[in-house]
Amino acid sequence: MTLIKKHIPLAICFIVGILTLSSYYVPTQASEKYVESMNKWENIVAGFAFLLGLFSLFFSHTRKITRRVDGWGYSLFVFVGFLAMVVPAIVSNGKQMVGADLTGLGWGYRFLFNALSGTMFSVLAFYIVSTAYRAFRIKSLQAGVLFAAALVLMLAKVPLGQMIWETLFGWTGGWDIAQIGQWLMDVPAVAGKRGIMMGLAIGGIVTALKIIFGIERQYMGKD
Amino acid sequence: MLKTRLNLAVLSVFLAASVVSAATPASQKNAPTAPDLSGFAAKDMPYDKGEAVLLTWPSGPADVPGAVYQVYAASGKDWVKVEEFPAGTKLAADVELPFWAWDRHAALHVVQLDLPGFFNDFKIGNEYRFKVKYVNGKVTAESSELPAAPKPNLFNLARLNNLLLLIVTTIVFFWTVSHAKRKGGLFIRRIAGLDAIDEAVGRATEMGRPIFYSTGIGAMSGVPTIASTSILAEVAKKVAAHDTQLKVPHFDPIVMTVSKEIVKQAYAEVNRLDSYRDDINFFVSQDQFSYAASVDGMIHREKPAACFFIGHFMAESLLLAEVGATTGAIQIAGTEQESQLPFFFTSCDYTLIGEELYAAGAYLSKEPMLQSTLKVQDFGKAFVMVSIVAGSALLLAGTWFKLDTLVTVVKHLFKAY
Repeated sequence: MTLIKKHIPLAICFIVGILTLSSYYVPTQASEKYVESMNKWENIVAGFAFLLGLFSLFFSHTRKITRRVDGWGYSLFVFVGFLAMVVPAIVSNGKQMVGADLTGLGWGYRFLFNALSGTMFSVLAFYIVSTAYRAFRIKSLQAGVLFAAALVLMLAKVPLGQMIWETLFGWTGGWDIAQIGQWLMDVPAVAGKRGIMMGLAIGGIVTALKIIFGIERQYMGKD
Repeated sequence: MLKTRLNLAVLSVFLAASVVSAATPASQKNAPTAPDLSGFAAKDMPYDKGEAVLLTWPSGPADVPGAVYQVYAASGKDWVKVEEFPAGTKLAADVELPFWAWDRHAALHVVQLDLPGFFNDFKIGNEYRFKVKYVNGKVTAESSELPAAPKPNLFNLARLNNLLLLIVTTIVFFWTVSHAKRKGGLFIRRIAGLDAIDEAVGRATEMGRPIFYSTGIGAMSGVPTIASTSILAEVAKKVAAHDTQLKVPHFDPIVMTVSKEIVKQAYAEVNRLDSYRDDINFFVSQDQFSYAASVDGMIHREKPAACFFIGHFMAESLLLAEVGATTGAIQIAGTEQESQLPFFFTSCDYTLIGEELYAAGAYLSKEPMLQSTLKVQDFGKAFVMVSIVAGSALLLAGTWFKLDTLVTVVKHLFKAY
């Protein structure tokens, strides 16, 4: 049992990891095809796994409906939504357009799915405002610096802000708010971002080595 | 007397000749000359997968403005013009290869031809013929035809710097692991976000509310998702020990399957397998905003005591974290997406920054073997810091003292090819 649950998966992980790593240094067509086939395998596995996901979804919502747990009515919409997309997809043979006309599936995508996705995305604008409000409450020195930087950037990016700056500090001559804002974005922000990126890159490499050499095994359910 | 007159006559002839020579029109004197294309060479492009050839020939005084080179290739009888460029361009110095793999100082024209773009019946190993033609008004010159067959190369020498760094990292990695085996645990600085996990689980237990854990929208092949599942294992152990409710909504069915195994194992490790339910991990949607909408709804209705957002997140990061914040949940987040970190900073109580995300599994598990690898991260960071300082100083010195070779060497050493 240990062989099947531990040694074979670890061996597969090691071999595939080493081969994938080598393919970066070996520019032959064989290595390119290997990477391509690995990607195809990933897609195939993902296809089968999607069925698992679908079963999990139906199972958890069926349970909610049968047990009448709080908010079970929302679970009904999962099935309604599923049927509302799958039935037209079967009828229209998976096509969204026939000539210039939308099929039922195409209509569902354009007027339901895309509209709902767009709505969710647009909610971000409001959340950014509420987050900014919370972040700009100056409770510490760091929050003060954050607020000052954000204020300068807002003035720099908005035409009204530039007009205000011009009116107040135009007499100084050389201090253009747009340039200050750009400097903030190009120098301190990029420096901080790169520091984080370098740490992440090193962490990623070490984690990959841990997985390839079998030191990190938690993703396998351990022993 | 006669001899003197003869000498004068000879001198006059020479003088006249020199005057006539000096009076030759400038246009005739600077008449374009054809280059010598006898140095034309065609060979396999080094360090590629075998689809390109490299054509070279000497550059010289014939490379004047207005002159062009035309490159021709043929697989059968018919020639195809594959490239035409001004004579002063495409030099050895323009080739994007490092100094250890390419001589940038050679006075050569260099053309790299990717043959599949020109021949539909391209096959690796087949021989193709090449020639180059110089055209400057009426002055033309043509090289001889040369055959070349592209072939795959076994090693991309341009990536030697990368390989050496990987080898050194791997050696340090094994050294730290063996060191941990021999000498035991290491000191690790406290990470506030991870220490807060106990607080979050305790709070959930006291309030009798669930804990939400999102692994993000990354696939199982992503390192952040793997790091997230390691943290999930430790969170699940604490949740199981306190008999609290855990909910793990998933974006990816494969991640869900792996997480199920991990959570089950975690419950088993603290002898609470009886509390384990198969629906702790459940699939929601593989659409980014559908996932966000669904999880937001659940957070809003169930008002969890704690939310974990650890893994790969994009635009949904703020959608999830802000809703969590409005419900008053204690929130711990971590992602490798630096563009999403500001959203987590502002809406979560604790955020794992940078490599802390990858260190979390080792930090929480307290396994010496895993913890030892954190040392590699520290060595890596030290190396990066020293490299930045040394590289900047060398570049500055090279620029200041006009040492072009030094500048080129430093730039090539730190570049990824």
